[in-house]
Amino acid sequence: ENTSDFSLNITDCTQVVVPEEVFFTVAAAGILENLLVLIAVVRNKNLHLPMYFFICSLAISDMLGSLYKTLENIFIILCKMGYLTPRGDFEKKLDDAMDSMFILSLLGSIFSLLAIAADRYITIFYALRYHNIMTLRRALVILAIIWTFCAGSSIAIALFSYEAATVIPFTILFPLMMFFILCLYVHMFLLARSHARKIASLPTSTVHQRTNMKGAITLTIFLGVFLCCWAPFVLHILLARFCPHNPYCACYMSIFHVNGTLIMCNAIIDPMIFAFRSPELRSTFKKMFCCTR
Amino acid sequence: MSALRLISNRTSQQALSNSDYTWEYEYYEYGPVSFEGLKAHKYSIVIGFWVGLAVFVIFMFFVLTLLTKTGAPHQDNAEPSEKRFRMNSFVADFGRPLESERVFSHQIAEESRSLFHFCINEVEHLDKAKQSQKGPGLESNTHFQEVPRSSGMFEEDLNCLTKFNIPNFVNTEQNSSLGEDDLLISEPPIILESKSVMHSSYRILD
Repeated sequence: ENTSDFSLNITDCTQVVVPEEVFFTVAAAGILENLLVLIAVVRNKNLHLPMYFFICSLAISDMLGSLYKTLENIFIILCKMGYLTPRGDFEKKLDDAMDSMFILSLLGSIFSLLAIAADRYITIFYALRYHNIMTLRRALVILAIIWTFCAGSSIAIALFSYEAATVIPFTILFPLMMFFILCLYVHMFLLARSHARKIASLPTSTVHQRTNMKGAITLTIFLGVFLCCWAPFVLHILLARFCPHNPYCACYMSIFHVNGTLIMCNAIIDPMIFAFRSPELRSTFKKMFCCTR
Repeated sequence: MSALRLISNRTSQQALSNSDYTWEYEYYEYGPVSFEGLKAHKYSIVIGFWVGLAVFVIFMFFVLTLLTKTGAPHQDNAEPSEKRFRMNSFVADFGRPLESERVFSHQIAEESRSLFHFCINEVEHLDKAKQSQKGPGLESNTHFQEVPRSSGMFEEDLNCLTKFNIPNFVNTEQNSSLGEDDLLISEPPIILESKSVMHSSYRILD
């Protein structure tokens, strides 16, 4: 082939490459961790509660995200090694399936976080009626609805991804959900504040002072981790759709591998900030590992 | 090498330019992009995005800190803040989910026990099992209907709670209302009622 008319500037943005060992280690760690959470919840009868089911749903969507990235990387390696043709029909279908897995994972994560926030909201604002409102059966029905909707949307978006009409709602849903979750948590905070005021009027107080920043830190970690891990990739999709030939966009898209690794880091961090904060789950883990030794 | 690969795949990319789903093969092959004449730094979107994200997260953190800090207007110097302790136990356990139904009912039983110790002299056969059933009814009088009624305890619950509203609820003996006790009438039941809700909501998050 002769060289084309376009001359590439030497200073163009080359792909930032993440070493494959790092990539697969992070992916495997994410999958294993979330699998452990699932096994622990299934095995311990005490954890058969709506709240833990929502945490399991988050673990499943994290696992799907890591799995997607792993499969995609294996796919690309096979393409490079020549076992698969990059334009074949079968490969395109496989690619569609993997894209829908990614979108399923993203939507599942968002809705699981929403479900966890709503569950905590009901716990606080309807504390004494919580067990009537959020029964186990209702929680399972809610999860079934969420996952059916996510599966349907992901297949639809993957099939029609070449239309701008699907990319835009997808990227609008993301900040909308984050905002809604933030509102739920902020309302819970406001209630804590008003309760603190009421308690302050009580005569009994024998406890020493502590910093009250821990709640703010916790909530910032929740939402900040989700934002920092998913937003770069969503922005990549947006830019790939709307300005693939712009040099600035191209430079952003050159860090694609780093964005993918961030998604898998999210799969590792999420169990730590949701599942492992429960003492019951931690003790189940200890029992699981002590029994196998 | 990369230039050749880019060029050879460019023609095929033109044919598939509408299909976005194959971008993953071609994300490194978006075709020759001219990088000449850039006004800003080429990684400006990357830097701008991450800086914006960091600013947003920090801003959110400060807003939340502000929300939690303005919870105690002028009682900061007064007591060694039980309120801070309560809020901290709330927000510290905020991230920790509910434990189990047994814990929940146990905590409710504890709260109801503390509120009903005034009634113990009146209702001598109050035991823990019945307390856990009565627990949810503490929220308000209107919520009594939601409580599964155990035999004969419901009327006693009502009796106990009505006692909170009359001047002699502090001591369980039948007393006539005193002048200084009038101040205690309206205030404590409300505080205790809300306190039960607060305690239950805090303990739930333990």
